[in-house]
Amino acid sequence: MASRGDGDVALWLHNKLGSTDDLWSGGSVCSQLTREKLLAIQDCFHTLHSHVKVKFMLSFLHLHKRNVEEWQTELEEILSAGREDPDQWVAMVADMLQPFPVNGAINLAIHTQHAIFQHILQELKKIVKKCSDTSMMPLECSCLSRSAMVSTSGHQPMAIKHFALKRKPKSAALRAEILQKSNEAACSLKRN
Amino acid sequence: LFLISDAGHQGEITSVSTACHQIEVFSRVLRTSISSLLEGDEEGLEKNLPEFTKMVCHGEHTFLYSQLLMHILAAEQKGGANVKRIYQEVHKAALARGLDVTPITLSLSGASAYPRASQALASMLSRQALNPADITILYKMYNSNDAPPVEIIRSPQFIELFLDALYKPGAKINPEHRTKYVFLLAYASCVVETKKKGGRKAISKDELKATCNAIEKTHALCSENKGSSELVADVGTLFQCLKFPIAARGVLKWVEYVVAEPSYFKLNTDHTPLHLVLLDEISSNHLLLHTRILDLLINLFESTYEDLDVLVQLELRKTVLDRMVHLLSRGCVLQVVTYIKECVRKQETDISLIRHFVTEVLDMIAPPYTTEFVQLFMPLIENEDITGSLRSEDDNDPVSEFIGHCKGNDIVVT
Repeated sequence: MASRGDGDVALWLHNKLGSTDDLWSGGSVCSQLTREKLLAIQDCFHTLHSHVKVKFMLSFLHLHKRNVEEWQTELEEILSAGREDPDQWVAMVADMLQPFPVNGAINLAIHTQHAIFQHILQELKKIVKKCSDTSMMPLECSCLSRSAMVSTSGHQPMAIKHFALKRKPKSAALRAEILQKSNEAACSLKRN
Repeated sequence: LFLISDAGHQGEITSVSTACHQIEVFSRVLRTSISSLLEGDEEGLEKNLPEFTKMVCHGEHTFLYSQLLMHILAAEQKGGANVKRIYQEVHKAALARGLDVTPITLSLSGASAYPRASQALASMLSRQALNPADITILYKMYNSNDAPPVEIIRSPQFIELFLDALYKPGAKINPEHRTKYVFLLAYASCVVETKKKGGRKAISKDELKATCNAIEKTHALCSENKGSSELVADVGTLFQCLKFPIAARGVLKWVEYVVAEPSYFKLNTDHTPLHLVLLDEISSNHLLLHTRILDLLINLFESTYEDLDVLVQLELRKTVLDRMVHLLSRGCVLQVVTYIKECVRKQETDISLIRHFVTEVLDMIAPPYTTEFVQLFMPLIENEDITGSLRSEDDNDPVSEFIGHCKGNDIVVT
């Protein structure tokens, strides 16, 4: 049964994270968290609304690294309770954050209990393979050397030849002219 | 809703908050949306991204769930790069909405295995600014024999911060730290890691020194605040450096700022100002910068230059069109012609400018043509207002020849 202190902390969390209009405000509780509060939240976690549970667990991502290390056990306890939650979003978020208190990472091997995630993932893997001819290059590719680009995206883009060129555009003559001017200017700078 | 989703009609579910409420429904809608984005191309991505981002960014949990799913998919050897592009675009759009997504993105990137690097990155990415202390930490790590994976510093957001620090006019870098900035940017741009059995990586830094040199030289030239006439002597050096994608990307950023100055075209009276010639050189070398260059040219073409005489304005727009013709000659064909077609449709562009474009293109191109190109270009060619004055009675002119060739070869315009 929740103690009086637990009730206070549940109310405090509800006031802070209870809004369903803004589902991004998790980080707002970070500065006021303490070990005592976390212990009290462990006790009353099951009484919280699902969206409060979700937002609260996501607030871990915004904690200072020092605090994550300091409160590792308490955070793990809360995530452990989250994984057992009947609400699927709560259980999923807890599972995604499972390794976070230990090493700051997100769980890339989602537990098989989330059948829908596995199902969608397998279906999409097939679609990704099927659509591998689509060429949407990752954003950094325009900055990468040819070999770095190939190692990142697996290939380099090629332009489709829509016509042959019977003559170079005017820009070619302009380029030659500018290069000549540049050489002359560079030579005259050297002479002076 | 669950039944609608279960019956495979995810496309019908339009209310974001309803779809996000149940993980099953959200997952199915997400699957359908990612699948449509993958089946489309760049154009489809641009069109459908706002709706997709709205759904993914509904809450921090939906964002984490979607990005996690896409991170796993991006690791697929065949086609994974397409998914990487989608999650990068979503990240960018979320940042633009003012959402604090940096912790999620860093945790997903694997940076957490390198806590010092991760902390340095987190501090700079969340403030959207580089600082010498964190840069020094990263520099020491990447300059050591046991450097973290290059992937950690190869994020588009991080590269953009470096480009701003080095190429934005007026940005100042403490000379004592400049080489560290240059080193890290060059490292992100050109180091190649190969995975070997047992997880060990071979690191190739063959291009690192030359890339550092190109960044150093272009940064020095761009920050000297020289006018076009003073820069002429450096064109040869610039052209050499522009062969390096990262230097080209930096110089492009610099040109974007320089030509956006309201007095630029008033002060640079050359027929083709030097900074626009640099755009041609970048177009020639880097296919992946074509879209960004075209965006800049469209901006210049559509800007109003009230300080300039009407005829000078017309000449300036012709010069910008010549850059578009150059871009088209280097492979950016459909985007350029689509834009010109759109100008005709809107009827806001002086027809003599369209005629100039068509003339220059016809002067340059020869068969074989693709059907896609003919479909787009033919309406411009057949428009009497544009090409009427270019035709001769004996049909011995480029316009008639183009039409004749397409008809003779059964390239049908629908």
